[in-house]
Order: sequence, then structure tokens, then C-alpha cells
Amino acid sequence: METLALIETLDRDGQPRQILRVSQWPVRIGRAIACDLVLDDPHVAAHHATLELRDDGVHVVPAATLNGVRLGRAAIAPGSTPLLPAAALLTLGGTSLRVRLAGEVLAPEQRLLDLHQYERRHVTTLLLLIAFAALWKGFDLWLTAMPGQPGSVLAWSYLAAPAGLVVWCAAWAIGSMLFQRRFAFWAHLHVALRWLMAGVVAEAVTAQLAFAFSMPWLDKLGRIAFVVAIALMIWRHMGLLLPQRRRAFGIAIASALAVGGGLLLADRSMQQQPLVGDLYLGTISLPAMRMARPVPVDAFVKSAAPLEKTLSHWTKAGDDGADADDSDDEDDGG
Amino acid sequence: MIKARNAGHGARGSSPRRFRSNNAHKAAGYDGSMPLNRLLRRPGRLLALLLAGSALAAWAGATAPGTPRTAAPASPLARPPAAASAAEPGDEHDDSANLSASARRIYDVGRPRLLQVRTLLRDQDSQASVGSGSLVGPDGLILTNYHVVSQMALEPQRYRLNFQTVDGVAGALQLIAFDVVHDLALVRMAQPPAAVASRGTFEFRPQATPLAQGERIFSLGNPLDIGFEVIEGTYNGLVERSFLPQILFSGALNPGMSGGPVLDDRGRIVGVNVATRRDGQNISFLVPAEFAQALIARSAHAKPITGPVEAEMARQLLVHQQQLTTRFIGLPWRETKHAHYSVPVPQEDFMRCWGSSNPSESKGLSFERSDCQMDTAIFINESLRTGDIAVRHEVYDGSRLGALRFAQEAGMSFRNERMGRRTHDLTAPKCQEDFVENAGLTMRSVMCLRAYRHLPGLYDVAVLSQSVDAKTEGVQGRFDARGVSFQNALLLASHYLQGFAWKRSP
Repeated sequence: METLALIETLDRDGQPRQILRVSQWPVRIGRAIACDLVLDDPHVAAHHATLELRDDGVHVVPAATLNGVRLGRAAIAPGSTPLLPAAALLTLGGTSLRVRLAGEVLAPEQRLLDLHQYERRHVTTLLLLIAFAALWKGFDLWLTAMPGQPGSVLAWSYLAAPAGLVVWCAAWAIGSMLFQRRFAFWAHLHVALRWLMAGVVAEAVTAQLAFAFSMPWLDKLGRIAFVVAIALMIWRHMGLLLPQRRRAFGIAIASALAVGGGLLLADRSMQQQPLVGDLYLGTISLPAMRMARPVPVDAFVKSAAPLEKTLSHWTKAGDDGADADDSDDEDDGG
Repeated sequence: MIKARNAGHGARGSSPRRFRSNNAHKAAGYDGSMPLNRLLRRPGRLLALLLAGSALAAWAGATAPGTPRTAAPASPLARPPAAASAAEPGDEHDDSANLSASARRIYDVGRPRLLQVRTLLRDQDSQASVGSGSLVGPDGLILTNYHVVSQMALEPQRYRLNFQTVDGVAGALQLIAFDVVHDLALVRMAQPPAAVASRGTFEFRPQATPLAQGERIFSLGNPLDIGFEVIEGTYNGLVERSFLPQILFSGALNPGMSGGPVLDDRGRIVGVNVATRRDGQNISFLVPAEFAQALIARSAHAKPITGPVEAEMARQLLVHQQQLTTRFIGLPWRETKHAHYSVPVPQEDFMRCWGSSNPSESKGLSFERSDCQMDTAIFINESLRTGDIAVRHEVYDGSRLGALRFAQEAGMSFRNERMGRRTHDLTAPKCQEDFVENAGLTMRSVMCLRAYRHLPGLYDVAVLSQSVDAKTEGVQGRFDARGVSFQNALLLASHYLQGFAWKRSP
């Protein structure tokens, strides 16, 4: 017998709970066992609605009921018998039905987000990333620790960062559990490590380059790169949860970055602070790293002459400034 | 500079620009009295101006009626706080007990011409701060400290001045003139009461007959707003190595006595109470009378100041900074003993240098520090001192660290320097940075300037410089000058950076 339509009764998650193959019209829907599709829902009438074939297609004909029928999001007005669109969603009482008609145009096949496969494909890069991060953190610790500092202190400090990362990735993995039915810890770890390392390395490299060529703006660029890397990381995390919403997430994160960044810039500009980064380049590197030629004292001091103009402009800016005095807890954020 | 993490010198290593918060004074029970100075823990740094301030309000609840005083208390703040005597163990008590016969005579002479100068809120009778003053000229001309009247001078829309004599005569005061550099001011009674004319005025001791060290002198004033006092002490000459001359007086001055006269044994003014050291006992400072005489000669007949005072203040400060800059640049840098580096360390003609180093058993970066500052800074307002110079440096030996870790440590120390933020008085700093070479030494140098928002033509300059020529040793220096002209800021920066050099033959 030819299948004219498919009526799926959906559960709360939108998954089919019961499927009816329709081989002849009309189809009566209700709680009574005389109906073609019997719904076990106290909010559904004995005979709740009928799907009828007319000349122009299948129509919904609601019966006289308390709760009525919704087509998509709109309630069907009493007396109207609308035409069923393709892949229509009907709500009868508290039950959702999806009606698919023969001959409907199907959306193209979508690529599967198989987290298993994702993790298998990235296992090598993940291992490399973990090794790189461990080395990086170790180097950083060696660089900043003083000789003779107790090992236990160093160990705590060394473990704090990975512990934080594990918590971060576990939280995202719980998100994956919710939307993708899989605790995709390794996939999230891969995303987190990749972008975190990208940000950290970009920041470190630009700081060194800024010193080498005496270009403080490179350091500022590195600060921006770090923020962008973190934003990308969050975007990728979100993409793992709901791949079909990646575009929307991208727009949301970009807007958040633009708004937050704009507010920050406005605030720093009002406080007469540099818009990005520190007041001056704080990096000191190896003597061999220095590529820029030093200038004589006189030339350096002369190069500060234009500051007078800026400062004179600043003295006139905003006399509202009953700001706090120089405080001990000064913090030049990045 | 290196932070506490290395050797616990954090409190000193930080910028000399910062002032201690008011909480510190509150704890000490001196709220309105301001430390002229900046760094804690240093022997010889804590100056307090002798202005009794609003902290008294907090004590006013615990009053002890019946404490003898002559002035009629008009507001609750003027009532004698019992807590005050507990907070100041013994000093004034002992002195009053030992009043000598000459002190009694001096007080009797000075009493009619002695006053309390009170800063009141414009629209009510609450006092914001109190100091002392003396009648020095006709028509009720009164000599006091600039810092006693600074609130009214800077914000006449919020404050007004009032006087009260020992016998309770009171009235309004007008600002006539000030010498912000020496912390002096002249005020005049708006309507001098008839009684005042007959009181006469204080005379000044002729400069031709200077005091000898050890001579007895007598300070008059109204400490802590609890009553007029005469304090007997000793003249000890001028404070050593002070750019601005100040008399060292061994006597127990207290907040509220600011601006009061100090008399010789014939009742002639030799100085004006101005400040005391908070870390010492009976170490007090007086403005020499010659500056008061000069101010009176210059301005006794001036009209009351009604407009803004900032332009005149800036003019005086510009004169001062020119003298300071010229004198500072005229002095050669001192020889430093380091094997490889010549570092600019100032002569101690008007600065004091303190040195420190981290313990030799330290396994990390070892360093030696030198920290030179001037003892005098000029009071502008509660949150602004200016007109001084500070020079610091640290010499690092990172041979136990290796090149990479040394660079990291040097960078940490370079980065954590404070340059200040935008405040009510100053703009935010704006910096210029580059690699700079002088006499064979290559440095990473940063020069930051801030402009005074209300004092045109004045700037703070900070120069930070870190040597970048050696793998495991280096020197980091910082120079600060406050309240200098832009040209002098550049001149001083240049002078400072030229003090660095690489010594070719170790």
C-alpha cells in the first residue's frame, strides 16, 4: 500500500515516539479508540481533529474542543480549516505531531557532527597540544620561579592551570551531553587547548618582537590577538554543542566583543589611558634579541616634545574629574 | 622595581609619588594633619603638617566639659575632646607642667596677638580645619601657614575663614597673599574689631642678630583645638640638607598649631610653626621668619584675593622649580662603585639617600638599591605635594639565574613601576619610550609626563631606564621630578639619562 503521509507523535525533545503511516484519508485524531491516531493525552478531546484530502491538498479540520489545535505556533481559529504545509507541526492539547506528506521536498543531507569521529580525527593534534601546553607551562614556571623555591609550591602552581582547564572543558562537555548526548570532553579539550595556546603564543611572540624592534604597538596587537583567540575558542566550544547554530553564535560573540570592547575603549579614553595594553612596553628580553638601534639621549628627550600638546589637551578634558587619588591598588589592565 | 616578593622591600620600592591614605592618619588620631612625605618605614620621612582637621569631629562625642580654655566653643567640634589627651601621651601635659617663668612672660606678651584661624564650611558653622595665626600688621593683618587657609584659597565657594582670639573675639578673615613654596599666608580681618587695634602687633627678631643653637624659643598656638598653649623648646639651627630652609625646633608641636608664631625670649617672631616629624619625638619644623617678613613687605597692603589663586600659585612654583632645576643640574652625579655601570646618584646637598640590598643567601636575583629623596615637598592641597625630586636605582646581579630568567625578572621589575593615573589634580601620564644609548650603555628608557590640571605650565616627569646590554646583570633607575616646567622636565630627563654609562675597564 502506498504511504500518503507520515504522522509522528513527538516527545518533549522533539524525537518521534509513535509513527503512523497513512495509506488513506481522512485521518481522525483523538483520544477515542475509534480514531485512526489515538493519543494518550488528557488534554486531547475524544475526537480532536481530522486531516482531510481536498482538491488543493490536505487540510486540518479541528473538531469542537477545549484546547484547540495549533499549526506551527498559531492557534487555528474556530471554523477555519487550513491547508497543511510541508513538514507541518501540529499541537493538539499537549501533544506535538509532525505531519510529513508524500512528495515533499527534502532538505539536503547534512554533514554529521560525530564527536567520536571528531575526537579520533584529532587525537594526534590533541596529544601534541597537551604536550606543548605542558612544556609551555613548565617553561613559564621555570622562568618565573626563583631557585630554591620549595618544590611543593611549584607543583601546586604547576597543577592549578590544568585543573582549571579540566573544569572548563568538563563544563562544556556537560553542555554537549545536553545537546549531543555525549560527554565530549576530549573534543572540548582540543578546542580549548588549541585556541588558548594560539592566544598565549601570539601574545608572547608579539611581546618579544615588540622589544626586538622597539615597536610597542606589536605588543598591543598581541593583547588583541589573545582576546580574539579566546573569543574564537568560546565560539568553537559553542559550535560543538549546536553545530547548526554556529552562524548565530558567531554573530553573538562578535557583537559581544564589539560592545564590550567599545565600552572598555570609551572608559580608557575617558581615563586618558592607552586604549590597548600598558602605558609602556614592559618586556625586557635578552640583549641578543634587540634589533632596533638605540638613539642618543638628546634625540630621545627631543622625541618627547610632542607630549606637551597632548597633555595640554588633557588638562582641559572633563573637569568633572573628581576621580580618586593615586591609589595603591593601581592596575593597568590589558 | 623589585617587589616585596624578593626581599620584602615592597613598601619602599614603589613609586615615591604616592601619598599615604587618610586612614593612616586616622589610626594615628591626626586626621587633618598631613604627612608631607611618602614612604613608610624610612627613618626620617614622616612629616605632618600641624593643621587640626575634621577628625576632631569624630572625637567630639567624647567631650570632657570643664577643660580650661578661654575661647568660647561655638560649635560642638570646638569642645575639648577627652580622647585627645589620651591619644597624645604626656607631651603637652609635661610641657605645661614645666612652664618656666619666661614662658609665662612670653605667653602674657603674645596672648593678645595670638589667634586661631578656622576654616569653616561656607554655609554652616562646622569647621573643616583649624590652625593658628599671629597679628603682624595694622588693620588686623595676620600671619599663618598657607596650608591652614588652602581649602578656602582653592575652593572659596565651599569654605570661608574665621578667626578667634584667646579672649573670644571672633570674626571673618580675608585672604591677602600667600607664599605657597614656604607655606605662608597673610589674612586680614574683614572688619577689625576696635579692640584689636589696641593690641599691637608682633615684632620680628632682626635678621642681624641670628639665634644661636640651643637658645630657648617659644611656640604659640592652639593644638587640636583644645586651647591656646605656649610650648618651650630649643632652636637647633636650620634643618640639614633641606632645599627649602626650615628651622629645627625641639619642642612638642601638635596639629592645630600650624601658623602660630615662635618667639624669642623677648617676644619677637623667629619662625612660624609648620610641621612635625611623626616618627620622632619633639622634632618640629618652623618656617624662618625672614620669609614671613618678605611676604609682609611685599603684600601687606595688597587687596584681598577674590578670584582664583591657581595662576599666582603656578607662578610661585615655576620660580621654585627653576631654582631647584638649576641647582640640581649644577651638581655632578656621584661616583658609583659598581664594576660595570655608572649610575646617576645625586649629591646629598639637599637630598637623602638610603641604600638596601637583599640577603646574600638569596638564590635568585640579588640586587642593591639606592633611594634618594628630598625631605621637603610643597603642600598644595590634601592630595597634592610637589616641587621635589627623587632618584632611585637598583643594580641587579642575575648570575645565579641565567640569561632567560634574568631577563624575565628584569622585565617584571621594569613593568611594575607605577606612573600614576588621572586624578583631580593631574592628568594621566603620557609616555615616550625607546632604546637609548649613553656612553656605551644601551638602555630601554621610558619617560612619562603628567600635566597639572589646574596649575598651568607645571608637570610631573618620571624617567625609567633599564640597561639591556648584559645577559645576567643590569641596572634599573628611576627619576622623578614633581612640579617642573615642560622644558625643565626634558632638561632633567636628559641630565638623568646622561648619568648612565658603561665602564669599559672593570
